Amino acid sequence: MKNGKTILIIDDDEDFASALRKILATAGYHILTAGDAKEGMNVLETTHPDLILLDVMMEQYDDGFTMCSAIKHDDRLKDIPVIIVTAVTEVTGLKFDPATDGEYLEAEALLRKPIKPDELLGKIAELI
Amino acid sequence: MNDRLKDAAGKREKFPFLEGSRVLVVDDDDMIRDACSLSLSKEGCVVETAEDGETGLAMLEAFNPDLVLVDLKMPGMSGLEVLEEIQKRAPDVVSIVLTGFATIAIAVDAMKKGAYDFVTKPSTPDEIRIIVARGLEKRRLIMESKALKIAQEKIRRNMISLVSHELRAPLAATVQFLEIIIGGMAGKVSEEAMEMIGRSSQRLREMLDLVGRWLNLATFDPLRIADYFKPVDLSDIVGECVKAMGHVAGEKGIEIILERPENLHTMEGSREALQEVFNNLIGNAIKYNREGGWVKVRVFEDGDDICAEVRDNGKGIAEEHISRIFDEFYRVDGRRNAPIKGSGLGLSIVQTLVKAHWGTVAVESELGKGSSFTVRFPREGKVPRASKSARRSLLT
Repeated sequence: MKNGKTILIIDDDEDFASALRKILATAGYHILTAGDAKEGMNVLETTHPDLILLDVMMEQYDDGFTMCSAIKHDDRLKDIPVIIVTAVTEVTGLKFDPATDGEYLEAEALLRKPIKPDELLGKIAELI
Repeated sequence: MNDRLKDAAGKREKFPFLEGSRVLVVDDDDMIRDACSLSLSKEGCVVETAEDGETGLAMLEAFNPDLVLVDLKMPGMSGLEVLEEIQKRAPDVVSIVLTGFATIAIAVDAMKKGAYDFVTKPSTPDEIRIIVARGLEKRRLIMESKALKIAQEKIRRNMISLVSHELRAPLAATVQFLEIIIGGMAGKVSEEAMEMIGRSSQRLREMLDLVGRWLNLATFDPLRIADYFKPVDLSDIVGECVKAMGHVAGEKGIEIILERPENLHTMEGSREALQEVFNNLIGNAIKYNREGGWVKVRVFEDGDDICAEVRDNGKGIAEEHISRIFDEFYRVDGRRNAPIKGSGLGLSIVQTLVKAHWGTVAVESELGKGSSFTVRFPREGKVPRASKSARRSLLT
């Protein structure tokens, strides 16, 4: 049941990325993975995925927010929907308050780790 | 020589803090400069002198003194102005004023501007040495407590990084795998196995939740959150929390009574953070209650304060626990299998968030009779406008 859409997963946690890959594969998506933001940017040089799943708390790059901002300010890439995936549960999380935080608004959606498979697939179906 | 110095001088004791310490003397009178310089050098101090305020301040950075002696009456920049500047540029440096016309009023004024002590002129070499030695002891304490704070902060940062990467990330990945099995995406699993996996996922989620709450508290920056404050209606926020908690209370047979005025003044705050405060307080009042008990939530104004009280007739807290309930991870029932589950973080989160809103939280409780938590915030326009650095030292 290939649906032909390509999703890029950028996450430095290999296990987590592999879990996401499994969920997306069952829904027939074509999947690309990158272990950090730099690798992710390299993938984006040559391919144009339909959606990006981006972890915001990676060790390598400053932080996924910076990368999200870079994508959204690149004319070639800014139309690609980005779902930020994070284990951060900050209750007072200014970063995640759409009313107060510009950085967050740049992504199309935010999902908290761990993600219910249905929730993930539902959100993706909404966006592409 | 005045009384406070007589004893010490009489003993001719050594001055342990003088050896190797750096002292800057700012005085327009060269006799005084030389006298101070001589009596302090004799004890092993490194002394530099400046003949006016501007020169003295310029040397502050280059010479990096532990202590500065400042004459109050100088041509040009006054001693009080110099004191204020030292406080601004090098708050850890101890200042002592030299005054030829010592009156209590002038000394008090100087102390208010940050001076630690004063020396009246003319003074004997011993007087200078004793007062400077006391000042240097103060300096040592300041520097020690600063070093401790830095070490503590480093441990906290390492802990945050460890918890975040070594605890939270693996937990999230594990639960994610379990979710895939639960979602049936990894093939068929026996009913019994499925039940165990479900329980595992649930237990791990609780653990993740605890880890997340601790991280929130540990990384919380009250100054940063204050940058995002907006005028909010506390009565509104408390009302929402009561509504959201209604279901849980109903299930436990507990009645929540809400009393709130109309046209409450607004306060400056974060809606999300204040919701967290009242979710915790009302949640506790429900959790530590009894069958058929009640929770009364009252929002009111008292002078310039916007207040909210959460009162219950539940279990109450024994006196010996009250002073510790705001401590991180402190639980009144500390047993591993305590009948009521909790992380021990709720009230420390409450206190941290309330403080970030320039507020206070007070508790009254009697074992077996119930508890009352009262939170107070300044209303909009009545918030003390302290500088950021002053607030930081208050909040940490």
